[in-house]
Parts: sequence; structure tokens; C-alpha cells
Amino acid sequence: MLSKFNYLKPKSLDEALAYIKENPGTKLLAGGTDLMIVLRRNMEIVDHVLDIKDIPETKRFEYKAGEGLFIGASVTVNEISECDVVAEKYAAVKEAADSLASYQLRNRATLVGNLCNASPGADLASPLLVFDAVVHIAGPNGIREVALENFFTGVKRTVLVPGEIVIGVMLPDVKGDTSVFLKQARIKGHDLGIAGVSIRRTGEGKLCVGMTAVAPTPIRLRNLEESLQSKPFSAETAEWLNEEIKNHIKPISDIRSSAEYRLHVSGVLAQKGLMQLIAMGGK
Amino acid sequence: MSKQYRHIGQPYDRKDAQEKVTGQAMYVHDMELPGMLHAKCLHSPHAHAEIISIDTSAAEALPGVKAVVTGKDAPYRVGLYMVDKNLIASDRVRYQGEIVAAVAAEDEVTAERAVSLIKVEYKPLPIIHDVDEALEAKILVHENLHTYEYMEGVFFPQKGTNIASWNRTLKGDVKKGFEEADFIIENELSVPAVAHVPMETHVTIAQADPYSKKVKIWSSAQSPFAVRQLLAKSLGIDKSDVHVIVPYIGGGFGGKAGIHLEPFVTVLSRAANGRPVKLKATREEEFNLLPTRAGMRSRFKTGVKKDGTITAMEIYHDWDSGAYADYGVNVGKTAVYSGAGPYIVPNVELHSRTIYTNKVFSTAYRGFGHLETHWAVERHMDYIAQQLNIDPYELRMKNLLRAGATTISGELIYESTGNPIDCLNAVVKEIGWTGRKTDEERALEMKTGKVRGKGFAMLQKAPAMPSYTSTAAIMQMNEDGHVKVMIGAVDMGQGANTIMAQIAAEELGLPIESVEVVWDVDTNKHPYDWNTVASKYTFMGGNAVKKAAKNMIQQMKEVAAQVLRCHPDELAHGDGYIYHVHHTARRIPFKKLAMGYMYENGNGIGGPVIAHGVYMASGLTNPDPQTGQGRPGLVWTFGAHAVDLEVDIYTGEVHVLKIASAFDIGQVINKKLVDGQVLGGVIQGLGSAMIEGYKFSPDAKLLNPSFTDNKIPTAKDLPDEIVPIYIENPQNDGPYGARGIGEHPMISVPSAIGNALYDALGINFYKLPLSPENISLAIKNHKKA
Amino acid sequence: MCDRHNKDGDCFEYVESGMPRVPMSCKINGEIVHKMVDPTMTLLQFLHKDMSLFGTKEGCGEGECGACTIKMNGRAVNSCLVLAAEAQGSEIITVEGLSKNGELSVLQKEFIKHDALQCGFCTPGMLMSARALLDKNNDPDLEEVKEAIAGNFCRCTGYFPIIDAILATAKKEREGSDHE
Repeated sequence: MLSKFNYLKPKSLDEALAYIKENPGTKLLAGGTDLMIVLRRNMEIVDHVLDIKDIPETKRFEYKAGEGLFIGASVTVNEISECDVVAEKYAAVKEAADSLASYQLRNRATLVGNLCNASPGADLASPLLVFDAVVHIAGPNGIREVALENFFTGVKRTVLVPGEIVIGVMLPDVKGDTSVFLKQARIKGHDLGIAGVSIRRTGEGKLCVGMTAVAPTPIRLRNLEESLQSKPFSAETAEWLNEEIKNHIKPISDIRSSAEYRLHVSGVLAQKGLMQLIAMGGK
Repeated sequence: MSKQYRHIGQPYDRKDAQEKVTGQAMYVHDMELPGMLHAKCLHSPHAHAEIISIDTSAAEALPGVKAVVTGKDAPYRVGLYMVDKNLIASDRVRYQGEIVAAVAAEDEVTAERAVSLIKVEYKPLPIIHDVDEALEAKILVHENLHTYEYMEGVFFPQKGTNIASWNRTLKGDVKKGFEEADFIIENELSVPAVAHVPMETHVTIAQADPYSKKVKIWSSAQSPFAVRQLLAKSLGIDKSDVHVIVPYIGGGFGGKAGIHLEPFVTVLSRAANGRPVKLKATREEEFNLLPTRAGMRSRFKTGVKKDGTITAMEIYHDWDSGAYADYGVNVGKTAVYSGAGPYIVPNVELHSRTIYTNKVFSTAYRGFGHLETHWAVERHMDYIAQQLNIDPYELRMKNLLRAGATTISGELIYESTGNPIDCLNAVVKEIGWTGRKTDEERALEMKTGKVRGKGFAMLQKAPAMPSYTSTAAIMQMNEDGHVKVMIGAVDMGQGANTIMAQIAAEELGLPIESVEVVWDVDTNKHPYDWNTVASKYTFMGGNAVKKAAKNMIQQMKEVAAQVLRCHPDELAHGDGYIYHVHHTARRIPFKKLAMGYMYENGNGIGGPVIAHGVYMASGLTNPDPQTGQGRPGLVWTFGAHAVDLEVDIYTGEVHVLKIASAFDIGQVINKKLVDGQVLGGVIQGLGSAMIEGYKFSPDAKLLNPSFTDNKIPTAKDLPDEIVPIYIENPQNDGPYGARGIGEHPMISVPSAIGNALYDALGINFYKLPLSPENISLAIKNHKKA
Repeated sequence: MCDRHNKDGDCFEYVESGMPRVPMSCKINGEIVHKMVDPTMTLLQFLHKDMSLFGTKEGCGEGECGACTIKMNGRAVNSCLVLAAEAQGSEIITVEGLSKNGELSVLQKEFIKHDALQCGFCTPGMLMSARALLDKNNDPDLEEVKEAIAGNFCRCTGYFPIIDAILATAKKEREGSDHE
């Protein structure tokens, strides 16, 4: 590691914001599962590392009926996986959490870190997209809220500007929802997804679809959702979805998969996902 | 079978287990010496380039830096069989990742920083990507190949080409054989390069005495004596000046055979005035600097009669050895006697060509070429059965080697050689093989989205080693009657030290707890062993230890005979005593003999009991240069795998339900440890079959030099069940009839899975890995066709 | 001249990055330690260099192989991805902390009995992942065991003996606690 950095762990948001204002280029550290690799591989040379895990706002992990679930930036993926409210109300989030990397990594990795890293394949992004998650961003002028759908701007790029810290994401409350997350990887153990799909069926029967690793950012497939509105909730629709979803994504070929397989398996996962929702009931 | 052994066949716990579960076991990774420096390397970013200039001034000026070396500081040539490599690239780099400079500094961070300050100017050269480009020979990876020193008569470099060695087998009359055939069937198959992935990366500490030529090495190496010999050769010093110590090593799999970082770190230590220098490969260096298993492309052309009898074979095995030959040429050589599988082939013409390209170079890997050749031959056999419309089991039964038959290199098979037919019968029974499924059955299953398939494949291997390979054991008895055994092989987890303790305890008639094989093999103290490779140690080391134990007993009997006033032949031993065979009460405990016997009046006779035993391979020959005929195989182990699997026809994922694996190992010495070799080897084979493989960019840079994209199987990637089966047709010259098994479980796992996939899908796969992507797209394209 | 300098030429004793050390206190295998640590040092490096605890291994340094797994505040983590400074106030157990008073733990004994190790390099991390699992779940099923160790690579054993050892430990520990 060529970086020589100071390490600071502030106790308050104000202290943190002041530090990053004074020290541009400060890297935020939560789980560290991405940052430590950036440092080890010298992908960036870093002068300041700010550990956000003592900031009270980032530790908030709270569900309020009618409001929803707030997941702070220090909350680990396994804490999310072990949370009953998540399993009950946001099943796809739990399934995505369980699919991420390995058990040890999930004990450190945070959901917000997964989002801020802004990889096109961020496993946790697709379920959060279908639940209309809102990112809470603290900056010099207070807190701003950005819909997750508008948060990603490109590969490894987000709307965040220097001086800002994501303190957490808010998942609006849901009622009578069912949801699934499916991911295809090269191996069954610890691997990055080569395609991930989340499908949510709201209490009102509306279907929401989000995907990862098939576009420069995680995406919500709004046009596809619109077409689904007029379709019956049926096996035929699931079969139709298998083909149709391919018109809404533009996967690339890379070291992990060819575009051809990504396209093919996206259809397979979407069909399987919808069939699982049908099996859960709700006509 | 009468087996009244006390220790042979007992599933004892491994002797090293306690130190390993408590964190006490020390590896070179963990070692620190007073005054030790840390090294880091600069690697070539180009696959093929001229080095125009190197500027190390900024690195040298950095405080804490003690030595910076480049090619000009290390004018040494290295190579196991072909002396084809500069220790540090000097004028030219031949693969991306090759070392061009290195730094030794007070700590790792300073060394890393210094490396980042070295400036190198390159002139990129055209690149050889694969064996076909290499065979065109328009660009040469080694322009001066014809001037290189090499092992003559064994390897055959071709001047003005990229062929490091062209080895041949010629047996019978191939032209006539093809004329006799009813069908001629051809296939082309290939495998990518694959990494060994020992959990402990390569690591060496070297300390070069600044006042003499002496060098002391601590290394994570499989073969301390090979390191001694090759280090001395590369640096032009005496073997006796080299002192190599190998503590616990964190996995080898062939990747730590031969010699790797040792001479290079020695040069750094010399440059740093003899301070010890440690170089610990990063995981990326493990993938991209250190050698790998070669990729390979095979072409088979086989003549068969209608009934399945093979009449002739013409085979080309072309090995993509990367930039250097290392063990690659010797891997290629094994095909000369094993590259057509365990079959009777009356007429054969086989070409095995080890070829240079501009990629990370190749070395030994568990199986030593056999996983690769057997992927090709065993898929090809299944394909022949398809074409003849006969059961692949019948086809094999018709052609398998058996007592009285000869191999492709003319070796006669005896009853005591072992029996591949027994292995095949055992595994097909275990998976309930009843013949291939019909198209109708398959079509019906396809509708469910999941298709089952069964398949099997044969395997064989004998140690690939010099015809004059030898080993030795030294055995000393302590005052308490306990015995310390010293051997030159390294127990890297395969269990050699536990097996040798069992053999020693068996012969000495002692409890297993009283015998210990001494760890930390040290070339200044332990007796010679050629190399810890080739699944040979149970056989060779076992024979040496047996002889040492007999020698120890004989020494004690001779002293005891004087005390008991009888002839040594009238004495027997057991339970720690030498006793008279009839008057069993006339006896002397071992411990009274251990340091020499003392009479009551104080007189002493005898002396410390120190025994030794040696074993040397006998009757082996080099293959004939023109025909490959000869006797290269000291001991063959035959085996077979059968697989039952299920394919998700949409995602292409394969769920393996069962793998049954049978090996004719003559005698199981410790089932727990043999099971370990089988389970671990099968899963490593599964990795080669379904997951692993190097991927290169168009400019021949390795695209997956980390675990992020170069995966190995995890606990979630296992079959439901592995069933190890041991056939025990004894080897008359093996210890208690035993043969080796270290490498064999890995061989033919890919071909068995490929064959089961054909049964499931009716699709032939010719390339590895059999990943979900490759299977799924093949199904998709098959439907279209 | 001293060999340890930062980029400005200032000298810091035993500081590799040249950055001023920061205080860190934690509990390691039951023992309270107070140290000044290099802010750029990982917890794994700290265990090796400052604590001389070499049982924990480095297999990749990138959190992929699990050889460096330790228990931190009751949870299995990759110590190569944690800064030493982050361990402030934490409770850490390494492989050296598994046995007490010279007596091997049930888990260690079962690893030996099932031959759940060969080269032994993955073993410390494997044991810690297993320990963390069993601390949370004393009756794991096969899939739960696989999930708990899927982040620990083993190239030698094929995992089967490891899984058997963990399941057998769970059974023994349950039976043991039933008797109490």
C-alpha cells in the first residue's frame, strides 16, 4: 500500500463534515471491503481516511410504521439479513443481502457502501430500486434526499459531490408486498453477480422490476413495468417476460460473462422470479 | 487376503494435526529473522517487449532501501531441462508479469514504494498468443533457442521454431492400422491454463554469506534437494554451499516443485551485503508471475473396427507452455507413454509438442499433464462409442489394458501392475450405469427444465521422474526407545510423515506414538530425496523406511545376540523388546540397546542405534528418442471416476449428485489420509472441470489475476457425495503392496463430467471449463441447429 | 541515518508509512492490550507484527480467501480488510484463543479426528468461521455450515471433512451442554 493516510473516527456528523471540507479527497470508511482493496492495489493514493462508524446518524437502523425502514450507512449487510422486519416486508432485500460475497464480508460490508461504490453489479441495488429507496445525503447545507433511481450516474459514479456523506437510505413502508431477488454467478459460493433481478409485487398488484450488471448502472425497468401493467399475473406472462426483458437491457461482455449469456440468463431469472411470486399467492 | 498388520491400514490422525489446529505450525510466511529485509518486484506490463532502459536511481535514493537489482546484476540463466530463462529479464520480457527489477528494503511498504519509483522504457514487440500462431513460427519467442543448453536425448528443441521439445511415440504400423479400421474418428479438444492456488503463496527467505559462497534458504518448496541442486547450478556454486530448510508448507500441487523464487532472492541478499531477504509473493504474483498449468490442445484420429476394437491412433498434444519451458517439456514428455490413456493401441503415432507463447509460463501441476491428456482421450473414447452406437462401457472393456498387454511405449502389464477394469466395474456399479439414455427419455426430461446424466472416465499415471531417481531414510533411536525418522521428502499435507511413521512402527513393532518423522526438512541434516512430486513417496519412501527399520532391528539383534548368547537369527522383536524366538522371557528392551548395551558390571557394547535405508528406482529407461519405446513407469496407478449429475437447462448450472472414484492402490495404508487425497483431488479436478481457467486480453495480458475473477470451488460448489473406492491388487515391489495416489483423484474428473453432460444433453463439449455460461449457450445453440 | 522516514524526511520509530501512530486498545484472546498503531496497518499485520500472533494467515489480502478470518466482537471477519485502528474497543479472538489451559477445544479435536486439514494454511481461518457459526447457531444444518465457510478457501481437503467436523462439533457441544 503506497497511501499514507491519517485515520480519524469522528463522533458527530458535524465533525465529519468539517473534516472532509478541510481535507478534500478524504475517503470514507464504513465496512472497508471495497476501500481496503482500492488501497492495497494502489488504485488511488489516499491522504485521509474518515471512519464514519461512530457517527450516530449512520448507526440508525429503525422501522417506523407508516414511514418505513431507515438503514444507516454503518449498518452491515448481515445485520440487515438478520432483521425480521426486512425479511417480512422487504424479502428481496434480505435475499440480496444473503447472496452478497461471503459471510465474513457481510459482517463488515454495509448496504450503503454497496450503493456508494456504484458498481453496475451492486447486488443490493436492485431490491432497493424496486422498493423506491431514497438516499439521505448530508452536506454543508444540510440533508438532501435523492431517489436511488437518480443516485447512480454511471459506472462507479453517483450524484455525490465533494463534502457530502451518505448517512443512510430510507425504504418507504409497504403493505401486502411480496418480492424476490435472483442472481446468477459463475460459482455458487462467494462470487459477483453476472446478472441480478429483483421483482416486487405491491399490495395493489403492481409489478416493479430492477436489475444489476446489465447496464452501466443498476436500473429500474420502468417501461417494462408499464407493459406488465396490462398483463395477467400468470405463467404465460412470466414466459413473455423472459423474452421481453431482453429489449430493456444492454449488457456488455466482460471477464465475468458474455453479453449473450447475460441477456439469456436475465430472461431466465426474470421468468423464474415472477413464477416464484405467483407461487407465493396473490391473484 | 491375509492382513495381520498392526499399523498398516489403520486410519490414524495425522501427526501434524495438533500444531495446525492451534496456530503453532510455522510456515515461511510467518518467519522473521534478525536483520531481515523485505523484497518487492517490478513486473513487465507487456507480454513481449524489448527493455530499452531501466532507471533505478530514485528507488536507490529512498531511505530504507538496501538493494535494487535488475537483469544486469543477475547474469544467470535458469531452467530445469531447457536453460531458457534469465533470472531477471534483461534485454527482453516474454510475458506480462515477468520480473524486470526488485528491491530489498527495511520493510514491505518501503520496498513497494521504491519499486514504484523505478522507470523502465520498453519497445513492445509482436505477440504470440496461442499454439497455432506459435507453430507458424513467424515470430519467435526465443530467437536463440538452438543455442540453449538443454537435456539432450530426452528433449528435442526445434531450431527456428517455437517448439521447446517435440517428443514422439511410434509403435506398430499406423498406416496398416488405419487400413484395418472400419471407421476413422477424429476430435479436437482443449483445456485452458489453470492456477495451482496453494493457500500459502510462494515465499522464500535467502541469506547469502558475504564472506563465502554459502547460501541459506528457507522456502515454501516441495523439494529442498531440487532447490539445492538447481540453485547451485543457476548461480554456478557448489551444491554443498547451498543449505535449504523447508518448514510446514501451505500447499504445493506441483507449483512448488522445482525452483522458483530462491535464486532470485539469493541475488537480492547478496546485493544487500548478506542480510536475509524475504520475498513473499502476493496473490496476484501467484497467478501472474509464478508458473501455471499449461493450456493444451489435442487432436485425435482413431481407427476402430465395428465391434469397437481400436486398430490405430494418431495423436497431437500441443502444449501452450507460455514464455518458458520449466517443467513444461517434461509434462509434454509424459504423453509419450501415457497420452493415449490406459488402452491397448497396437499401432500408434503420437506427437507431443511443448510450445512457447508470450504468456505466463507453465510448470508441474498435480497430475502432470494427465488431467489434460485424459480430458482429451476420455472424451474422445465417449465420442467413438457414440459414433459406433455402442455402450461407452463396452468400448472401454474391449480396449482397456490388462495383464499381458503392452502400453503405447511397449511396457508389459503384469497382474501386479494393477487393474483398470476392476476400477471401471466398481464405479459404474456405484452410479448404477445401465447405458445411455435415449433421445425420447431426454426429450421428456427436458420439459422439466432439469436433465440427469451419467458418465465415466478412466485414468492412469506413473511417476514422471528420471530413470535413476532415489531416496533415503535415516532412523535413530532415543534413550527412551522412541524412534526419530528423517526423510528428504516434504509433508505438505499429503500425509507422507504419518504414512512413514506407520510403516516404521509396523516394522519395528512399536506403538505409533513412539515413532516420529522429523519435520522441517533440512538439506544439511536430512537424507536425500529427489523431489516431493509424482505420487511416488509412499512407494519409494515407504520402501526406504521399511529397509531402514529392518536395518535398525538387525543392529539391535546383533548386540542382543551377544548379551543373550545366541545367534541373531534366533531372535525376534515386538512390543519394544528383542527376544529369543523360543525362550521369550530372554529379552532386552529396545531402550537398553538404544545407545549401546551396558552390562551390570559397567561394560558396554554396541553403540547408538542409527539405521538407514535407501530405495532406488530400478530397470527404468529413457524413452527411445525416435519411437518413445522404453520403460518409464516405476509404478502405475489405474483408476476411474463415474458421475451422476443434473443440468439446469436454462441457467446451465450443473448439480453433481455423486462422484464415485475407484483406484487400484494395492494396499490402503491409512484410509483417513487416502480419503483426504481423493476428496481433495476430486474437488480440485471439479475446479478444472467447471470453474477455473486463465483468460487473456488481445495483448496477452492476464485478465483474471485475482480471486475476484479466478475462482476455485468453495464449500457451496460441492457434489452431494463423493464415494472413494479402493481396489487392492497388490504391487509386488510396493511397501505392503501399496501404490501412489496423490495426483490421481484429480485426473479425468473433467472428462467424466463432460461425458455425463453428453448423456444428459446429447451435446459434446470439447473445451473446458464446463461453466454455466458455456453449457447454457451450447444448449441454446444446439436447439437452434 | 535512521532508515525510517516519512516523505518529509521526518523520522518515526517503527512506523512503516511514516504517519504518526494512533492509540488503539482492545482485548485479544482475553488479554487487554494498549498499543500505538500505524494508521495504514491492517489488523492482520498488527496481529503479526505487534502481537506476534502468526496463527492467523494471509492468503490473498483482499478478503476473498478467508485465511485471515478472526472473530471480532463475536463475528467472523477478514482481518486483512480491517484497519488496526478500527479495532479500538473491540474484542478479538484468534486461533490462538480457541483452546484453554492446554486443552484443545471440541472443535479443534473434531478437526483432527475428521482430518479436516492437510497443509493447514486455511485451518486457522476455517476454525474461526466455524467457531463464529457455532456461537450463533448450535444446531446448524448442512447448508448453514456450507454458507458459514464458503468464504474460506481450502485447496487440499475438498471441504467434506471440514463440514463433517463442524457438524460433529455442534452435536458434541449440544450434548455437552445438555448434561450441564
